This record gives sequence, structure tokens and C-alpha cells, in this order.
Amino acid sequence: MFGLAKTFLQVLHDNWVWRRQAWELAKIDLVKTYRGAALGWIWLFVKPAVYIGVYYFTFAIGMRSAAPINGMPFLLWMAAGVFPWFFMGDMIATGSNVYRRYPFLVNRIRFPLSVISTFYVLSNMIVLVGTMAFTIIMCLILHVKLTIYLLQLPLVFLLMMYFWTMWSIWLSPLSAVSRDFSKLIATLSTPFFWLSGVLFQLDSLPRSILHVMNFNPVSWACVAMRDCFIDQRWIWSRPKMLGCYLFLCAVVTLLAMRSYSRLHKEVPDVL
Amino acid sequence: MSSKSKMSLTARAMRAASSENENLSWSGDGEARIIRDQDVTKPAAVKFDHVYKTYKLYKSDKQRLLGTVSRRVDYKVINAVDDLSFTVKRGESLALLGLNGAGKSTALKMITGVCYPTRGRIEVHGRISALLELSAGFDGNLSGRENLEMRCQLWGFTREETQALIPEMHEFSELGDYLDQPIRTYSSGMKARLGFAFASSINPDILVIDEALSVGDKRFRVKCEERVKSIMAEDNLTVLFVTHSPEQAKQFCERGIVLQKGTAVFEGDIEGACDYYDNH
Repeated sequence: MFGLAKTFLQVLHDNWVWRRQAWELAKIDLVKTYRGAALGWIWLFVKPAVYIGVYYFTFAIGMRSAAPINGMPFLLWMAAGVFPWFFMGDMIATGSNVYRRYPFLVNRIRFPLSVISTFYVLSNMIVLVGTMAFTIIMCLILHVKLTIYLLQLPLVFLLMMYFWTMWSIWLSPLSAVSRDFSKLIATLSTPFFWLSGVLFQLDSLPRSILHVMNFNPVSWACVAMRDCFIDQRWIWSRPKMLGCYLFLCAVVTLLAMRSYSRLHKEVPDVL
Repeated sequence: MSSKSKMSLTARAMRAASSENENLSWSGDGEARIIRDQDVTKPAAVKFDHVYKTYKLYKSDKQRLLGTVSRRVDYKVINAVDDLSFTVKRGESLALLGLNGAGKSTALKMITGVCYPTRGRIEVHGRISALLELSAGFDGNLSGRENLEMRCQLWGFTREETQALIPEMHEFSELGDYLDQPIRTYSSGMKARLGFAFASSINPDILVIDEALSVGDKRFRVKCEERVKSIMAEDNLTVLFVTHSPEQAKQFCERGIVLQKGTAVFEGDIEGACDYYDNH
């Protein structure tokens, strides 16, 4: 336990010392993703727009179940779940394997490994904040009523960032050691999408399953995001759900420190 | 010239300000200990004290994964560095000579800090700029210029300092218009040129060169040698040079260590080291 606390302090220290570099690398990661595309930054918006369009077609036209939810447009309800999902889907699939994305930072330069996770999450977070800002602007243009509950958005972003950074610090060393493992985690992406209430109302689930969903970080993020836009309530007005999420954060922190302290010296040898 | 010395002054100030950044001593598992600071007044730049580096070789990736959770999985143990001790004094230029697999690159990686010793004690005093295995740690998808910007930024330079340094590196690397092309389109010679231009321009205390010069043509090699000699004369630069060619080592190293199977079998002046290397 003492060892884990020490690792945790070490990780915090590294992240603090390298904060400026982490921010620059996050921007470089964005540039890299859209490198070589003539339309460049437009792709940031094209992908979400196409997906939202397809989902909307399926639900509104295909299944005819696109009634307004809590008086808010169905499209906004969907956006508040699907946009955070893009972030989390990337985290599940690629955030769990960041060292292979940046091998030269692992075995060519002296660079603290935990900061690779931080800046990768940060770079994806920039995109999420951008798409949510875009959503808010669309609401303003279309005269959709926005409320004071939007003020808790930064808190939601922070809580999401914390969890997924720890997730990445936990799984990346394991993925570096074994490709089977990285494949296994990437396979989880689709089940998480369909089971976590990204595209359905969690309330419609049976009670027993709802209890399980309390321990699903993806569900929490979708519910919290919809609290801001649709349900208009504070995230702490669901104490049980928030409590479970904070508990998950603590658990994933412990797991991350355990895997990091055991493996971070081995990763450069195997990559 | 005046602009350069002014540059290095600012860089020095930066370095002093960021010195606590790397002033970490890790006491790892077992008996391994690394002391790393930026105290350039210490007479020894690098010191190895009975250092071992053990690689675990598993039969397959599956076994390796099991090995992370259970301690009962079988693996073979290879000592890439086996009881290695030596000291590099500040301002010295040292050649590490040895055949493939003698542990040269592993030793350099431990000095640079990208991998960790299994046992023993390593001291490094001063900031290191390294060219490991021909690559300076560039991202293939970014252009040469973006890579230089990124690396300068990671080194701790401000934007202005970076912009002031890049033309100099560009000129030295002789890459011309290729500087704005992605690194993945570069030949190995081009990468080595850019890597060397970067590593030697950022005012390191210790410069580590791992075979980078062997891919360049003769003219560029001579240019690099002159460059290293000139910074060595100007600043108190310590150079660690890895090679299997004694001729190159003689060009700018005063001392040599011959490695065999992870241990130092000869330590002394460069002539003696080269003779020993040629005869064994």
C-alpha cells in the first residue's frame, strides 16, 4: 500500500513537472491525427455529424421512436450521449495501448510513461470539449432552451478525464507486454457502446441491471452529460451513481498504480 | 557567434530553472539505484558501479502475459550487461567498443534513462542528448521541422529559442526542402543527419552517439567529427561514442572501453583499447 502511494506521488510529480510538454504533445497528437487530410480540421466535425445522422435515421425514421425527451429535442438527447461516447470509445480501444502509439517516447527519449497517457487523454478531451461547444452553439442558433445546469460541464469533463487517464495508465503497460491483451480490450469497445445506455434511456432497464450500471463508467458519463443538457439536474443529485463512479475512480487508481509500478521499467525492454 | 553564446546563456538559465525536473533519484526494485541530477560541477559525468541488466526471455507473448500475473512462469535469463563498472570523467570523450551483442547499446540506454538496471548503481550528472540506434526519437508521421520543434520543446526550450535554433539545425543537416516532408519518407542517412544536427545543437552536458555516424557518408562524418570537437573545446562536453570501428573511435576519443558479453574487459587510452579490440 505504501509502495502504491509512492508511485501515485511519483506519477503526480511527473505530470506536474511535464505539464507544459504534455499540453504541447496533446496538440501535436491532434495535428498528427488529421495530418495529410486536405480538409484537416473539418474531419473533426464530419465524423460525429455522420454518426449522429445515421443514428438519427435509425431511430427517428427506421424505428419511429424519436419523441422529445423531457421536452428537449431527441437529436440533442442523442448528441449528449454519442459525443462523449466517441471520447470513451477511443479511450477503450486506443487509450489502453498508448505506448505502441508513441514508441519513440518510450525507448528513445527519457520521458515519464504516465505522461504519455495524460497527453493522449488530453488530446481526445480537446476534441470532446470542441464537439460539446459545437453542440451548445447549435442549441443557441436553434433556440433550444439551455439552463444553468450546463455550468457543471467542466466538472463532468474533469471527472471523465481522471478516470480515463487512470484507465490508460493501468492498461497500457499490460497492452505493451501482450498484444492479446490489447486486442481483448479493443474488443470491449462495441459491447460497451450497446450496453451502456449511449442510445437508450437507462431508466427503462430492470432494477437489478440498473444496480450493475452504477458501476459502468460509460453509463455515468452519458447520464451526467444528459443531466446537463436534458434532465436539468446537478450530477450530485444522483448520489448513488456519483458515489459509485468515484469508487470506480479509486479502484482504477489502485489498479493503475499497481500495474505501473510493476511494469513501467519493463515496458521499454519489450516494446 | 555572439547570438549563439547568448542563446546558450538563456538555455543555461532555462536548464537551471528546470533542473529540479530531473533531479529524481529512483530507488527501484532490489538493489538497483539510479542517481540523476544536473550538477555539472561533479568531476564524474557518468559512473557505473557493478551494474547488471537482465532481460527475461519468455517463450511467447502469452507466457509473458502470464508472467506479469504469476511468478511461476518459466523464462530464460540473459544478462545483457553483466557486472559493468566504469567512470567517465567530465570533459572526456570515451569510446565503447565491442562486437554486436556486447551490451553497448543497453549500457547507453541505461545512461540515457530509457531503460533501467536490474542491479547496481548508476550515477549521471548533467543533461544528456542521445542518438540511440540511429534514431533520435522522431515521429515518422510528422515533418522534420515539426519533429525538431517537438524535441526542442521536450528538451525545455521556449518557442523563441526553438525558432532561433531550427535554422542552424536545418543548415547543418543539409536536408534542404526535405525538412518539411514527413520523417517516414527519409532515408536512414537523412534521419541520422537530422538526429545529429538536433542532438549536437541543444547544448547538452553529455552527448551520446550510438553508431549514428556509420550511416552517413564520409564527408558528413568528418563534418560531425569537427562539430563534436568544436563543442568539446568550447563547453565542457562529455562524449560517449559507441562503435565497432576502431578507426572512427580514434578520430575523437581519448579513452576507450572494450566490452565483451556485458563486462568491461579493457579500460584505458584509445590506442590500447583499439589494439585490444583488434586482437581479441
